[in-house]
Amino acid sequence: MKTIYTALTGFLLILATGAWAQGSGPTDPQIAAIVVTANQVDIDAGKLAKVKGHSADVKKFGQLMITDHSAVNKSASELVQKLHVTPESNATSESLKKGGEENLAALKKLHGHAFDQAYVDHEVTYHQSVLDALDTTLIPSAQNAELKALMVKVRPAFVSHLEHAKALQSKLNESAK
Amino acid sequence: MRPARTCCAILAGAWVIGGSVSAVSATPASKLYVVTIENMQFTPQKLTVHVGDRVEWTNKDLVPHTATADAKAFDSASIAPNASWKFVARHAGDYGYVCTFHPTMKGMLTVVK
Repeated sequence: MKTIYTALTGFLLILATGAWAQGSGPTDPQIAAIVVTANQVDIDAGKLAKVKGHSADVKKFGQLMITDHSAVNKSASELVQKLHVTPESNATSESLKKGGEENLAALKKLHGHAFDQAYVDHEVTYHQSVLDALDTTLIPSAQNAELKALMVKVRPAFVSHLEHAKALQSKLNESAK
Repeated sequence: MRPARTCCAILAGAWVIGGSVSAVSATPASKLYVVTIENMQFTPQKLTVHVGDRVEWTNKDLVPHTATADAKAFDSASIAPNASWKFVARHAGDYGYVCTFHPTMKGMLTVVK
């Protein structure tokens, strides 16, 4: 669990403290890379949860993450093609990718209820982190109106996922007592 | 442009005829109501219709949704983005419904005689 939170903290610090030049946020190609990576990381975790999840609720949630984040990435990919924007890898997208890989490695060592709890705990933190990033950095920094609109449009799905994950977290904590 | 307009007019006419036939078979004043699914919400969240009316759920989000009543009194199954699902309200009652994918999404359909 420590590894997971360290990776997330790193991601948040990068967003908050300015891996970007002072007074400017990420560029649109950098935002595109962050959005696509953020979705892909959660799709990969969802694929693991679908297979390795202990409870039916967790497996179902994993499938939902695959479906929803794939749908968002499809829209994002279509938009960047239309706008002729080439996603540009950057410190934040790399940090997200690395954090995702570390999360998967940590989860693969766990089984049963412990897996479910660690996966869902991470989903809560992850969705909160991405929402914070959308609100404080990504949406305000986007220059292209359509890219900004896409992020505004997907934001409620992240809120719903966060609430869903929190409800699962409570349920898992109850069943652990 | 003229052939296209004629074509649309014919199609519209056919739809009206079709609609009126189905309305007669349901109730004379059968109406179509639309519930928009957007921003992970059903809008309107509460809707009252009469027996025989049609209700259509249109998904304007980027992710799939369902409109599924308690005890599956009605169930759209997955509605893809930009797709819709329609049903005729045949039985009076209060129908609480959810999106089975996203439990935070809740709606209420009331069907009166």
